[in-house]
Amino acid sequence: MEGSAAVSIDLQDVQGLVSVQTGEINRRIFTDEEIFEREMRQIFGRAWLFLCHESQIPKPGDFFEAPMGRDNVLVVRQKDGTLRALLNTCTHRGNSICRAEEGNARNFMCTYHGWTFDISGDLIGVPGMEKFYNNALDRSKLGLRQVAQLDTYKGFVFATLDGSAPPLHDFLGTAGRLGLNLIAELGDIEIVPGVQKFLIDANWKLTVDNVFDWYHPQITHMSAAAAKMLPEDAYDGLLETAVDGGGAQTPDGGQINFTRGYMEFIDSITVLGEYGHGISGPPTALDNPLLSWRKRPEVAAALGPVGMKVGGHPNIFPTMWITTFGQVSLRVPRTPTSTEVWWFSFVPKEMPPEARAHLIELQNHTFGAAGILEQDDGENWSQSTRQAFGAESSLIPHQLKMNLGRGHIIHEDGIARIESRTSEHGQFWMYLAWAQWMTGSSWDVLRANTIPGELI
Amino acid sequence: MTASAEVMTANAEVDSATFAQMQRQYEVEQFYYREAALLDAHEYEQWVELFTDDARYFMPIRRTRTRRELHKEFTKPGEMAWFDDSKAVLQGRVAKLASGTSWAEDPPSRTRHIVTNVRITSVEDSEMMVHSAFLLYRTRLKSEEDQWIGSREDTLRRVDGLLMIAGRTIYLEQTLLLSRNLSNFF
Repeated sequence: MEGSAAVSIDLQDVQGLVSVQTGEINRRIFTDEEIFEREMRQIFGRAWLFLCHESQIPKPGDFFEAPMGRDNVLVVRQKDGTLRALLNTCTHRGNSICRAEEGNARNFMCTYHGWTFDISGDLIGVPGMEKFYNNALDRSKLGLRQVAQLDTYKGFVFATLDGSAPPLHDFLGTAGRLGLNLIAELGDIEIVPGVQKFLIDANWKLTVDNVFDWYHPQITHMSAAAAKMLPEDAYDGLLETAVDGGGAQTPDGGQINFTRGYMEFIDSITVLGEYGHGISGPPTALDNPLLSWRKRPEVAAALGPVGMKVGGHPNIFPTMWITTFGQVSLRVPRTPTSTEVWWFSFVPKEMPPEARAHLIELQNHTFGAAGILEQDDGENWSQSTRQAFGAESSLIPHQLKMNLGRGHIIHEDGIARIESRTSEHGQFWMYLAWAQWMTGSSWDVLRANTIPGELI
Repeated sequence: MTASAEVMTANAEVDSATFAQMQRQYEVEQFYYREAALLDAHEYEQWVELFTDDARYFMPIRRTRTRRELHKEFTKPGEMAWFDDSKAVLQGRVAKLASGTSWAEDPPSRTRHIVTNVRITSVEDSEMMVHSAFLLYRTRLKSEEDQWIGSREDTLRRVDGLLMIAGRTIYLEQTLLLSRNLSNFF
C-alpha cells in the first residue's frame, strides 16, 4: 500500500490525535510512517515486551527467537537455569548468529567468519585470533549484546531495551498483574507446542483495541454462532439473550434478527491500568465450566475480591492479549500496515487427558488464521487500515463515543474499574495512554499521566 | 475395449499388475480433480461429504529449525495446528460459510486448486496412502493475492465402491503464514 503523502504532523502535539473530550481519533495514526517510527522508539524501544514462556525453553541451550520492535532477541536458557535475552546479531559484521526460530543450541557460531559465542553470549572463539588479530581483540567486550532488563512474572518472560524502565512488577501494576493472573492461575501451565504465526495487513493498534470490543461479536461473529464448531459449553458461555437491533439491516435489506441470541454482551467491567494496560469484558459467570478453575481457594487469594469478578480480555500494553481460555496473542508490528500475530497456547500440566484435549480443541478452532472468530475480525482491521489512506477518508475521525463521559471509575483494592453496560472505555483508555507514550516523556511523567482518574 | 490379462499394442505389452496400478492412478487423479472442482465452485456441502465420518483433517504448524533438529519441524496431532478437524468440525466450517453472514468470504474469494505429483505409496485392502502436491491460488476483493504451495498425505478408503478421504495431512511450505486468513479448504 502507498504511504501517506500529506503534510507531516507536529510530533510534539501527538496528544491532539486522540481527543479526550470528544472521543475522536485521527486516522493518520494508522497509516503514517513517521508515527510508526516514533512508536518503534517510544513504545517498543522502552516498554517491557512479552517474549515467551519459561516452559518453552526448559533445558540449557533451549532458545526461542522473539521480536522487540525491529530487534530480534534470542531468549536462551543458561546452564545455571537462568535466562538471557541476546540480540541476534554478530558483534563483528552484524550477521544473525542463529537463523532457526526455536530449538536447542550448543553454541552460536556466526557463519560469516566463524566468530563463536557460547549460550551465555560470551565470545569464546575467533578464527585467526593470533595470525590476523595479533591477539589484539578484546573478546570480553565483544559478546552478544543483552537486553537492558529481563524478568519474569509467573513464568511469562518479559524484557525491555530501556535501562531506565521501572521494574517489571511496577510496569505491570495491579491491572497488568491481574491480567496475567487470569492466565497464570489456570494451574501449573505449560506451553502447547506450536506457536501460530501469521501476517495480517492491518495497523497493529486496530488489532489491539479490538480486544476490548464487546460490541462487535454479535455482528462480526454472527456466522460463528451458526457454525456450532466450538464445544457445547463454550456456547453456553458465549450466547446471551438478545436486545434491540437499533435499526441495523442485513445486506439484503432485512431487519437483523437478534432473537437467536448471538453473543450479545450487555454488562461490562473495564479495568484501567497505568501505562495503558486494560481488561474489558462481561463479568465472570462462575457457572461457566470453562471458569471452574476460579473456584480454587488459592485463586481467590491471587485475584482478590475485585479480580474475582473480572472477566473478559486483558491486554498488557502494548500488544499482549490474554484470552479467557489460556492463550496469549502477541501482535508484532512490522510496518504501519503490516502486523504479525503470534498465538501461544497453554494448558495446566495437571489437566486430565480428556479435558486437555478439549481445551486444545477450543484453542485450535477459535482464534488463529483458520479460527472461526479471527477470520472475520481480520476483514474489519484490514479494511479499516486501507480506508484510512484516502485524502478525504483520512480526515474522518474514529468515534469512540460509547458511554464517553459516563464511565465512573471505582478505585478499590488498588484496582481502577468501571462497571457499566458495554462501552468503548477500554479502547479509549488504550489510545489515551498511547498518546502519552508518544510524547516521549520520562517514565515518571508517563506513569503520572496514565493513572486512571475519576471519570472517562 | 475390455481389460484383458495382457494388453497388446504395437510396441509394448502392459502386464496386469501395472495395468491395475494405472487404473488406480487414473481413478485417484480423477477423484482429486473432481474434489478440486467442487472446492473452486464453492460446493462445500458436497465436498465435506467426500470425508468418512472418522476422518481427521490436519495441517500442522511448521517451524524454521536447524538441519540437526529438522525432525521437530512440524507440530504433531494433539499440539497446536492450523487445522485439526474432525468431520463434524469441517461440517461446522461449511455451515459457517453457508450462513450468509461469513464476512471473510463475502464477497467470496476466487480459488483455483491445482493438484499434481500424485503418487499412490501403498495399497492395503480398502485403503490407499496417496501423496500429492498442490498449489492453491486465491484472490480476494480487488487485488489481494495468496498462493499456498504444499503437499498432502491422504488415506483414501473405498466405501461402497467409491473413494472417500479417511484422513488428510497437509504440509504447507510456509512457516510464518503469509496470508491474513485460511478461510478456504486445502
